[in-house]
Parts: sequence; structure tokens; C-alpha cells
Amino acid sequence: MDPALASLVAPALNALFGIASLAILALGLAVVLGLLGVLNLAHGELVMVGAYCAYAVQSQGLPYLAAVPLALGLCAILGWATERWLVRPLYQRPFDTLVVTWGLSLLLRKSAEAIFGLGYKSLNEPVGGTIVVLGASYPRYRLLVIGVSMLVLAALVAWYRRSRTGTRIQAMVGNPDLARAFGIPVRRYASLTFVVGTCLAGLAGVLIAPLVPVQPFMGLDYILMSFFVLVVGGLGSVAGLVTGATLIGGANSVVSALSDSTGGYLSVLVLAILFLWLRPRGLHAR
Amino acid sequence: MNNTVNLARRRIVVAAGGAAALGAAALRPAFAQANDFKIGFFIALSGPAALFGPTQRACADLAAERINKAGGILGRPVRLIFTDAGGPPAETAKSAVRLMLEDKVDLFIGSHDSATREANIATIKGRTPYIYSPVYEGGECSPNVFCLGETPPQQAQPAIEFLAKEKNAKTFHLIGDDYVWPRKVNEQVKKFVAASGGKVVGEEYVPFGAPNKFEEAVTRIKGAGPHAVVATLVGADNVNFNRTFAGFGLDKTIARVSLLLEENTLLGIGAENSGNLYSCMGYYANSPSEGAKAFKAAYLAKYGDKAPQLATIGADCYSALNLAKAMFDKAGSADAKKLAAASEGLPFESASGRVTMRGRQVDKDMYLATCKGTQFEVIKTIKGVKSGTACRA
Repeated sequence: MDPALASLVAPALNALFGIASLAILALGLAVVLGLLGVLNLAHGELVMVGAYCAYAVQSQGLPYLAAVPLALGLCAILGWATERWLVRPLYQRPFDTLVVTWGLSLLLRKSAEAIFGLGYKSLNEPVGGTIVVLGASYPRYRLLVIGVSMLVLAALVAWYRRSRTGTRIQAMVGNPDLARAFGIPVRRYASLTFVVGTCLAGLAGVLIAPLVPVQPFMGLDYILMSFFVLVVGGLGSVAGLVTGATLIGGANSVVSALSDSTGGYLSVLVLAILFLWLRPRGLHAR
Repeated sequence: MNNTVNLARRRIVVAAGGAAALGAAALRPAFAQANDFKIGFFIALSGPAALFGPTQRACADLAAERINKAGGILGRPVRLIFTDAGGPPAETAKSAVRLMLEDKVDLFIGSHDSATREANIATIKGRTPYIYSPVYEGGECSPNVFCLGETPPQQAQPAIEFLAKEKNAKTFHLIGDDYVWPRKVNEQVKKFVAASGGKVVGEEYVPFGAPNKFEEAVTRIKGAGPHAVVATLVGADNVNFNRTFAGFGLDKTIARVSLLLEENTLLGIGAENSGNLYSCMGYYANSPSEGAKAFKAAYLAKYGDKAPQLATIGADCYSALNLAKAMFDKAGSADAKKLAAASEGLPFESASGRVTMRGRQVDKDMYLATCKGTQFEVIKTIKGVKSGTACRA
């Protein structure tokens, strides 16, 4: 292979990794905000819960995959309880849900601190080492993250579009009163949607945990970047999420590769500000 | 009916609250004597650096307890007022004003980043003595300020000489967080690299406090292929960079030295990712010096097995209080000129043993360590390294 072309493989994979990891991290937030209109500020902390599940599993010497049911179970319980007692009384009151989920994020962070302490936890990559792709060696686990993220995204789209439950959720989002009149249990589906969102956050946490320092504050980074993705992409569609992740993650990665991380982060902020200013509903407004 | 009951209950609560507040006010002098030697002690109680908070507090309390047993400072019992320095520098500087005007502290001690130190110095303006204790970039000579931390001539110079001589490193890549400490340190690192006959082939900074990822930087380093990387990243960024670096397999071919690498950060980096990684500090929890062993024994005796992890950030608080005791007692007053004169050539007990203050900085023994898993292994001790900064008394 042409060496000039080969030198582009690693940056391209970096961009792809940036986009895929951002999409999976933002997915849960997108589901809850896009379908229920609730900006869940505890989203990043649910990612953290998933990451600590992975740490707990690995430090007990169990296989890494055991973290998936643990994180899904824990996040489902947290999501269900949050929806039932905190969010349900506050639908249609966006500012109040913002405050209540912010409070939840503080509670989760402090709980993690109380259980695990403030120190950084390090996890071994379940699939370590590098592999040669088109002439460039690239970490195996990062490739796995790219693949799993795409799979999860595709599976969610298929489920939402094809399944009976997905159709009913679409009906609920489109017109809750009409859906209720047709006998769709709107409350139950709202609860289910919220739980799906929190479970996706937990799953993203399990996926990302071996690559980052696991610590109680880690969620703050993810809520911010996820929010930027939704600002750019718009709410309520997978196309919006993917476009948002591609623009934000891609710009960050490409500019970071061409200049430095400061430039990359600057481009993310400029993009987010431009969109909030000129196109506040994002590229794919529903 | 219900309303009146509620109202009555509220009155009782208010009355009880008021009484408690009055009681607290009345009781206050019983705990806080006007005679106390009050120290405004800046540590990280919030934010990401709060990881160090428990160690900082424990080490400071240990030193204060010992000093009070030995008669306090200037014959007055020491009282520490722990104040958060984990937020933005301007917020910490505001706390400094409150400590000066309301609490009328006799001394400030700070264990925080350099950006906060600059804000504090601009606010305190030498009116109250200020001991700054952690690793820093050197060159701080503001009036009435005393620095304990390792400077680049103590840390970076031996590390780069080691890499150049023992690891045959000729080309260096520098990466740091974007604020005053990394940039000033790297100015000097470039001189040390040039003096060793090597060359800096890359220099980059990442935004401080942003959600940073390092895939692009590591790919860039891989493409440039330097012999060694000098990292002035802190906390989570340092962990993240080193994990990504090893994840891409560069740990096998490129040596790394990190200038703020202590026990907590190394635990985060993890045994899998710490190959070919070096650190040069004046203190490790397992430093071989007699002083460090005695300090650690006293620390564990006071706090037991559940004691917060000992590290250079934290141990510096212990050293700072010991300097305060030695310096104020020798000067016999809190006068800036007398303190500066007393500090010159003053020996005192640091966490790693007896050191000497010169030019309001500290000359000390340095330890070059390699990372074995998540432990430091000292491979070279360099005795009495000069700080390279000499402030006039």
C-alpha cells in the first residue's frame, strides 16, 4: 500500500473512534430528551455507574461481559425509580426536571465517592494489544468499541422502527392524548423509554471504562459533549444523533490531528455556539 | 387548627435554631482563643483535585498536633483553617481576602496549582506570609512568599540527563496541560534538552479542564517517533494520556517521564500501561530516606490502615507546617524582613527528612524512579539538588 495513504489510516480510525464513542455516549441522552423532552443532567453519572460496574466485575476477577447485565440491571432500576418518583410529576416542566436530574447527578457522584473513594480506578482492556489495519497498527479494543457502538445504534433503530413497542412509543411521542384514547398505556411506555435511555448510558459506561480513568467526576465530561451532539444534530431522530456525533466528534478529531487539542476543543465550542445561534433546532429537527 | 399547629411548630424550630446559633456564638471563644496562631490552609476540597484533599488534611493535622505538643508557634497554639482551593483561582483569592480581614490569619499555606498561587499572591500582596508547598515551575520571588516544591532544575534536569545518557534519547516530544506550570517548566526543559545534546521535536498543550482525549496526540507522537516524551499533564489528563499511549503500543518503544506523577495518578494509569515510565520527585510514599520512613510510620500510627494514600501532594503540607514552626520561632516575630532573614540557611524537617531553605526555596535530595506496575522503584538518588532559584532575603 502507498505509504502516504497508509499514514492516513490511523487518523481516519481516530476520527471514526471519536464519532462512534460520542454517538454511543450521547445515545441515552438523545432517547430521553428526544422522545420525552426531559434533559437528564444525570446522564453522565449513569455512564459513570456503568463504568464502576465494569470495575467491580473486573476487580472480582469475573469475565468482563458480566459487567453488561450488572450495569443494565442497575441502570434500569435507577432509571425506573427516577422516572417514577422524580420525573413523572414534572413532565412539561423542563426547568424543574433539569433541577431534579441535576440533584440526582450530585447524589450519584457522592454515592460513588462514598463507595469507591475519589481515587482513579484503572481497568485492563478486555481485548488488549494492537492489530494491523491497512498497514497501520491500531488498538484492538478501540476497534471493538467502534463495532459495538454501530451495532447498538443499528439494533436500537431496528427495534424502534419495526417492533410493536417501538410503534407505540412513536404514537405516544406523536400525540399522547390520542395514543391514550387508543388504549396505549402512555405512562408505562414513558417509563420504558426512560429506562431504555438510562440503560444505554450504563452500557456506554461499560464500553468506555477500560479507556479512561474511572472516577466519580467522569460523568461531567460526557454530559457536556453529548449535549453538544444533540445541539448540532437536533432532537428525536437517529439521523440527527449520527450527524451531530459526526460533526462534533469529526471536527474535534480532525482539527486535533491537524493542529492540537486546543484547536479541536475550540472547533467543538464554535460549532455548538453557531448552531445554538443560527439553527437552534439543529440539523434534523423532528 | 392544622395551620396553627404548624405555625407553632415553626416558631419553636426558629427559636431553637436561634438559641443554637447564639449558643454557638457564645461557645466560640472556648474553642478559638484569640491567642491562637491561625493558618489559612488552602487545599483541594472540591473539584477533581479533591482526590488529594484527605491526604493533605491528614498530613497537616499530623504536623499541627506535633507542633502543638512542642509548644505551638511563637508560643501560641496552632489552629488550621482549611479552605477550598479546588475551584477557579479567583474564587480562592476571594477566600484569601476573607481569611485576612475576618479571621486575621497569621500565615497562609497553599498546596494547589500555580494559577491559584499567582491569584493568591496578587491578592495577599505580601501582607501575610505565604508558604507554597507543591511541585512548581520555580522562579517565585514575590515578597513574603516561601516555596518548598521541586523546581525544574531539581526534577526535569536529572530526568532528562538520565534519558539522554542511559536511554540514549536524542529527540523529545513535550506534552502538557495549557496553563502556567507546564509552559514555564517546558521553557526550561528545552534548555536541559539542548544541553544534553538532544532536540525537542514536538511541543503541544491540551486545554486545562476540558474533556480531553489523546488519540490524535498519540498518533502524532507515533508518526514523529521521538525517543522520549516529557509530560507536564496533571491528574485525569495524565492518566488518560498514559493509558492511551500504552494502548497504542508506544510504551514498548518510547520512554516517558511525567513531571507530576505520584501514587494516585500511577494507580489510575494502571500496571498494564506503566512500562517505560519514569518520575523524578523529592518524595514517594516508599522513599528510601530515614526521614520519609519516620514520617510514614507516624502517619500510619495516627491514622491506621484506612489512612488516605500518602503522596507528594499531601506530604508537602506536613513539610510546610514544619517550616512555619522553624521559621517563625527563629525570627521571633511575623515581620516579613525578619522571616526572610530567618529562612536563609534554615534547616527543617520535611516529609523526606532534613532539608535546608536557601533563597526562599528548598535544596533537596531527588529520587529518580521507574514504575514497576503501580509502585515506584527508586533507581537513582541525587543528593542535595539546588532549586536554581535564589530570592533575595
